[in-house]
Amino acid sequence: MINIFYNEWRGFLRNKLFIFFTSFFIILLIIVTYFAIIQNNKQIQSQNEAHNHIRSQWDEIDSTNAHSAAHFGTYAFKSNTILNSLDEGINSVTGVVLRLEGHKQNDVAFSEVSQSLEISKFGKLKPSLLFQFIIPLFLIFLSFNSYTYEISSGRLKLLIIQGDSLLKIVFAKIIAILSLSFLLLSLSIFIQYSFNFSSLSFDEIFRLVIFFFGYIIYYFIIISLTILLSILFKNSISALSTMIIVWLLWTVFLPKTIGNFTESLSPLPTRFELKSVMKDDRSKGIDGHNPSDERRYQLEKETLEKYNVDSISQLPINFSGILLQADEEYGNKVWDKHFGNVYSILKEQKRNYQLSGLINPFVSIQSLSTGSCGTDLIHHLDFLSKAEIYRRYFVKELNNEYTFVSTEGENAYLSDNEFFKSINDFNYLTPNFSSVLYYYLYDIIFLFSWILFLIFFIVLKSRKLII
Amino acid sequence: MNLNIFLYESIHFTRSKAKLYSYLFFMSICMLSIFNAYKISNKQTQTILNINDQKEIENQKVLDWFDKSSKGPEDKLWINVEDPYWAIRSTSTYVVKEPSPLMPLGIGQSTQFGFYKKVNRWSSTYDDDIVEEISNYERLINGNIDFSFLIIFLLPVLIIIMTYNINGLEKDFSFHKLISIQNNQVKLWIFTRFLFYLILVLFSVNILILTVGFFNSGTSNIKSVLSLILLSNLYIILFFVVFYFLNRNGNSSSSIAFKMISVWLLFCVIIPGSVHQYVSFQYPVNYMTDFLDVNRKRTYDIFKLDNSNLYTKLLEIHPEISLNKDSLEINLDNKKIRRSISSIVNQMNVDAANEIERQNEEKNRLIRFTYIFNPVSYVQNMWNSCTSTDYDSYKKFRIKLKESIQLRNELLVLEMWKEKKVDKESYQEYLKFLN
Repeated sequence: MINIFYNEWRGFLRNKLFIFFTSFFIILLIIVTYFAIIQNNKQIQSQNEAHNHIRSQWDEIDSTNAHSAAHFGTYAFKSNTILNSLDEGINSVTGVVLRLEGHKQNDVAFSEVSQSLEISKFGKLKPSLLFQFIIPLFLIFLSFNSYTYEISSGRLKLLIIQGDSLLKIVFAKIIAILSLSFLLLSLSIFIQYSFNFSSLSFDEIFRLVIFFFGYIIYYFIIISLTILLSILFKNSISALSTMIIVWLLWTVFLPKTIGNFTESLSPLPTRFELKSVMKDDRSKGIDGHNPSDERRYQLEKETLEKYNVDSISQLPINFSGILLQADEEYGNKVWDKHFGNVYSILKEQKRNYQLSGLINPFVSIQSLSTGSCGTDLIHHLDFLSKAEIYRRYFVKELNNEYTFVSTEGENAYLSDNEFFKSINDFNYLTPNFSSVLYYYLYDIIFLFSWILFLIFFIVLKSRKLII
Repeated sequence: MNLNIFLYESIHFTRSKAKLYSYLFFMSICMLSIFNAYKISNKQTQTILNINDQKEIENQKVLDWFDKSSKGPEDKLWINVEDPYWAIRSTSTYVVKEPSPLMPLGIGQSTQFGFYKKVNRWSSTYDDDIVEEISNYERLINGNIDFSFLIIFLLPVLIIIMTYNINGLEKDFSFHKLISIQNNQVKLWIFTRFLFYLILVLFSVNILILTVGFFNSGTSNIKSVLSLILLSNLYIILFFVVFYFLNRNGNSSSSIAFKMISVWLLFCVIIPGSVHQYVSFQYPVNYMTDFLDVNRKRTYDIFKLDNSNLYTKLLEIHPEISLNKDSLEINLDNKKIRRSISSIVNQMNVDAANEIERQNEEKNRLIRFTYIFNPVSYVQNMWNSCTSTDYDSYKKFRIKLKESIQLRNELLVLEMWKEKKVDKESYQEYLKFLN
């Protein structure tokens, strides 16, 4: 088997076209990975500047009403991970700025795609574009006649006579071609690692490992399927045509159709519908039996009892602050109910989409690739959830100040700069991959299932084949 | 041209299952894409209808107050709709971008932008409530089954499937010399075979565009429909010409297929992807901090100004409110000044938004500059422009929105400073003016 593997490589290296394309891909990968890192670092720097700019404005607030400061609010900027340079995922279509303020939850705005004309339907030329679209095609062209050429040249019989089994020959060929993709992937990962050596955490290395092996498995599927088709058709042209159609279906057609289908399977509400029901819930009560006036009356009663006084004017605290926080918490419940539902639908759509990995391994590798780079829907929802948790902390701190602290004296209801500076900044940390790994179990299972399925068929066909 | 070769190719096409089924499959997904875009367009239309209903209800509620001689809702006694400030605040105004009748032929960038916005005096063109509809971002990245996508990106692949073995198959089986014996001009033989597929493809595409164009908009968009036909035909012919030369000089069907796919990859994936990456490098995502500053810090700074300074700023925007010295003193502590702050903030928003538009335009200029070697992006944006689903169409929507906000603030300030008493008729005038 090792001899066949070496022999394959000897054959590759004698082929000028192979040398040309391999060199082309190596140079392209180096350039693409390098520029992706530079572009990503520039983006991270730009995000940090925006973040610091907004925080410095907050730190400069002087002697202001804490509730007014809640309206002043702050902003959360969606940060790019280091691995965004490998696979940008959904980052170009999601907004990047989220306003965090009292009373309401805002939408994340200013996506990159909304800032210019349309450029590329397949995304930026990042390593993931090469790994997902172009390298598989190159591997198909390398594999389609790998087996049939041995038959037409009569070498196959010669090899079998010399004692090699057909199975060994086929797998040696698969591994030989796979080793090339191993080389290309390693190169990209190596560049990524060298440029970000100091800033890569253990989690990011783990993510890189998953990214690497995910693609290796996917390439194994592509190469084995092409060779299996050439065994089945006994004709390299038919294998090539079929495989190109399969590649098109997997990478272009099925992701779109299945994406549309999963969206119609669990439809999302429109923004207008969602706002209407949330407005109703906020004014009439979540269950329709607890309108805002009644809630206010009940709260007033409870507060007076708690402080053992008869009227609001006798309270040692600022009742407006209590009301604001209660309204905030009620608003949070309404938001949790409706946006919780939207998030569940989004996750359900993702899960249904991932299930199509059973017929389309491209879906699995795409999901695993964006997931390992922290640029998929799951990570985006995590960012939104953490930003919302921070907003609640932020508003609660301000409301507490407004209610309990700044109520007396000459500067009543005015808080000083020290207080505003004491409020923690929002610093989003990407979750550890191990904590979200279960979202990608389907992808991992389907990729391995494809391997088993293909190995099984190759073994079956090789045994039945009469040379 | 030899008609026999042309007819023979039609027989070959109908007998070649791979080619025939690929063609039929492509036509089916074209129809599916049109149906899919219809659904998106109808969903947007339905949302706009709901908005109009909502607007009617909200405006009728205010008209009822006038009828009942009440000045506002019972639980909000501070509201007085006879005061222009409250009357104008109570008008429900939305600015919408109606889906284009040609949207079924190209969704373009329509899923990346919001298409309606409720306007109030504090609104701006970059508010976060005019973001795209709630949708699955992973689906957005993969895109919709869109007719324009199929024509621009998948049709060349169909052409490859239909033509990759013209001249190549003959060389594979070594009977290409027989062809040269039977046909004096092999180039014409290849050309005639290509011509059959060119006519087939052009006919199919044009029929679909014409049908959708006329069915959805009659003759009102005839110019755009014809532009789409011209654009798509030129694009298809361009690919046919390139593929023709590849086939003419190819050695075998597999090498021709490889070259054709490489050309497709180069023009449809690699060049646009590289341009995208370069543009992002030159113009990273704009976090719009200047706009955020106006929206937040500078707005709060305006609130801190005293009435005299505010009045000076207001005069720059609305010279009509100029007062004589006596009335100035009387009016400077008037709440009218503070109620007019939104007009000052709006002017700042307009300036900040103009700056964003300028930056975006710079980015777009760079993209347009690349069209010279990036024809696919050119065709894509031209197509989106014909179907009114491109960046510029949404820019027009933002301009419309900007004008609406400006009108509202102007009306608010002028009517307030005239100290006009609002009745039902004048409220209806406001509604007409603002919608």
